[in-house]
Amino acid sequence: MSPVIQAEGLGISFKRNQRRNQRLRDIAAGRSPATTPKGKFWALRDVSFRVDPGEAVGLVGGNGQGKSTLLKLIAGVLLPDEGAIRVGGGVAPLIEVTGGFVGDLTARDNIWLTAGLHGLSRKQIAARFDEIVDFAEVGDFLDTPFRHFSSGMKVRLGFSVITTLDEPVVLVDEVLAVGDRAFREKCYGRMRDLLSGGRTLFLVSHNEADLRRFCTRGLYLKGGSLVVDGSLEDALGQYRADIDRRRKRRPAG
Amino acid sequence: MATQVEPTTRLGALWNNRRVLQLLVSRDLKVKYADSVIGYFWSVLEPLMMAGVYWFVFTQLMDRQVGEAPYIVFLLAAMLPWQWTNAVLRQSMRALSKDAKLVRSTSLPREIWVLRTVGSKYAEFLFAVPVLAFFALVNRAELSWYFLLVPLAMLIQATLLVGAGLMLAPLAVLYGDVERLMRILLRLLFYFSPIIYGINDVQERLGDTVATFFVLNPLTGIFDLYRASFFPDEFVGWGPIGISVAWSLVMLAMGIRIFRRFEGTVLKEI
Repeated sequence: MSPVIQAEGLGISFKRNQRRNQRLRDIAAGRSPATTPKGKFWALRDVSFRVDPGEAVGLVGGNGQGKSTLLKLIAGVLLPDEGAIRVGGGVAPLIEVTGGFVGDLTARDNIWLTAGLHGLSRKQIAARFDEIVDFAEVGDFLDTPFRHFSSGMKVRLGFSVITTLDEPVVLVDEVLAVGDRAFREKCYGRMRDLLSGGRTLFLVSHNEADLRRFCTRGLYLKGGSLVVDGSLEDALGQYRADIDRRRKRRPAG
Repeated sequence: MATQVEPTTRLGALWNNRRVLQLLVSRDLKVKYADSVIGYFWSVLEPLMMAGVYWFVFTQLMDRQVGEAPYIVFLLAAMLPWQWTNAVLRQSMRALSKDAKLVRSTSLPREIWVLRTVGSKYAEFLFAVPVLAFFALVNRAELSWYFLLVPLAMLIQATLLVGAGLMLAPLAVLYGDVERLMRILLRLLFYFSPIIYGINDVQERLGDTVATFFVLNPLTGIFDLYRASFFPDEFVGWGPIGISVAWSLVMLAMGIRIFRRFEGTVLKEI
């Protein structure tokens, strides 16, 4: 079986001293802001792995260790500085779920816009519109501008739109932490449906129960490197061991 | 080496996403013309006011010595395409940052955000054409056969604008000075392009050498071609148009390269 995601020697660097706007003399000198040497750090480096269709992968690691960056690389919204990543087919990204929505447009317009931007045709959107609205429980607010939505409603709508896409790869970044309990149950159901439908799932969560619920495989990222690529239990075990070790070293912390 | 996508697949990806482009453009227009009458009024107000001011100064206050009568038609025939140019060059500098959230949450070929700017402004340009038609009718300006070449002028101009937009969009995100510099350049470009005067006026008053410099401006050939629809005598031949075509192709090639070169860096910044 050919892998649905294949990463080879993946690396991406960011500037540490963020001076956003470079000067024209940098252009004149032919320097690009990416290559100014000082304060460059690698958020990810030398990351290689492959994922087969239908796998459910949990991404484990502390804050700032590169989990979200990796998801963005898979989603194609960041481009690697080193190495390559190949994704067979499209990606349904539940990263910054509410990001694709425009505050001034109504929920109705936003559904059309976001679903359209992610490649659904008018006919497909029309056919799925009611289902999206029902799932998000926003039926009474269809003509309300999105910026008036509560944060819970925003996430529900985002989750609902993105999970109706037909993309073979689904990326989930901490969305499950937001909704209330009832909605979370619905999300679990939806994700189980996606998995049984043969989709590939990438899940980032700090909640071990959520990870165990769906994932069999685990990737553990630490300091931008992939330190464990194995079963979820292996990844979680190593992660816990690292945390314990750090705690012992600094007992007062 | 980072992943390099072949130009042809890139083009293919854009073609596959033409529906998305359509969606973005129609959304822009929807926002712009939400309140239809006022929205339309606003979009033609600026070129109309500028043309009105120049018409007043040059025909009422002074004895007009440049251009042809009816001067208001002469002005608008170049002012409207100028407006398209001006709007695209300004907006493309925000093409990636204005909707940063949308750009960051979709993996569409990113050139689409520039194409969307060119497209929406083109639609606004088309919507303003009836204003020109109105003044042409009132002043009984005659349409010449050069009118058939307007689509060619549009095509050259669109190519030029896409190229320039692809260059400006990433550079403006990375370099804050670009926007300030462009504001000055656009002001200069307005006065050094044949808008309030014709290229013929330059030739008559300043001689061939100076006129040659004006012809090097890619907008000269384009505006001249638009204007020939009503003023066939203004048409100065295919030379300037050849220069415009060459410029637009060079700009497009450079734009594609620069955009590709800085795409990854820009995505980290927005």
